[in-house]
Amino acid sequence: MTVWLQILDTAGAALVLLGAAICLLGVIGMLRLPDVLSRSHAATKPQALGMLIVLAGVALRLRSGMDLATLGLIGFFQLMTGPVAAHLVARSAYRTGQVDHASLLFDDLDEQLTEET
Amino acid sequence: MKRLVTFSFRNKDLPPFSAAFGARHRRVLDLPLIAWLTVIWVLLWSSLNWANLLTGAVVAVVVCLAFPLPKVDLGLRLHLWGILRLAGYLLYDMYTSGVKVTRQIHGRQPRRAAVIAVPLRCRSDLMLAAVAVTVSNVPDGSVVEVRRATATVFVHVLDAGDPAELEAARRSVWRLEELTVRAFGTRDEIERVAAPPPHAPRTGERPGDQEDRP
Repeated sequence: MTVWLQILDTAGAALVLLGAAICLLGVIGMLRLPDVLSRSHAATKPQALGMLIVLAGVALRLRSGMDLATLGLIGFFQLMTGPVAAHLVARSAYRTGQVDHASLLFDDLDEQLTEET
Repeated sequence: MKRLVTFSFRNKDLPPFSAAFGARHRRVLDLPLIAWLTVIWVLLWSSLNWANLLTGAVVAVVVCLAFPLPKVDLGLRLHLWGILRLAGYLLYDMYTSGVKVTRQIHGRQPRRAAVIAVPLRCRSDLMLAAVAVTVSNVPDGSVVEVRRATATVFVHVLDAGDPAELEAARRSVWRLEELTVRAFGTRDEIERVAAPPPHAPRTGERPGDQEDRP
């Protein structure tokens, strides 16, 4: 049995490392991308994936029912709140003119906002 | 004699699964909300025993009484099979989107991004919010703006140079919309979502133009 436990521990450690590496790639992407909206892609998606993988790794190491449920709760709240924060950043960036419209290929929202005023 | 506690099955005016306190029903407690807060409390203490359960319930009731929410029926229904399907698709989508975005970010050639409007079929506020949250987790989409009046989400797409890519982004939004509403929506909304997606407005076309198409 101890062999199996060791395998689980090793797999958990590997998953934590993998998740952290994915988060790191996302952060590097954030530095490379030009504007706020593109950066919000890099800030949310690889992070969410990396976070889930890290949680899975931690779950493999903790292995008790209650802790697993708590990890599930953490994942749930992260997935619920991350997009909201990203949306608020994107929205306020758009409305305060932080977005370079010339670099966008086209923009359906711009027409609608200008129509209103 | 006035009852001290009235449950919703005795009084149809109350929202489903709730209880009203006092003679004049000033305070209404939403029982599923209290159960959910208690579950979170127990999970935070990470051990299940009677003391935790009871203090959790007490804290939940006190929180609900201290910060009362408006008495509305949000239109939230839980469909177990729908939730499982949504979770499965979301996990798969998050995997592909993580990989895809990482590849796009680190690719050599410059990308042209764009903001596209995607009209939705569902109408209730809760469903719009839920769809916006799920859309943010899929491959090409980060929600810039949601227009409530026309139920339109505005999505920033990273790689817009390719028309097929744009079409794929729209389709994935609609697919997620259907999955989300089938997981959490009322029967009305599910029927609305079962209809084929509204005609995709091309660039420069106004999304309101095709609103009435079935």
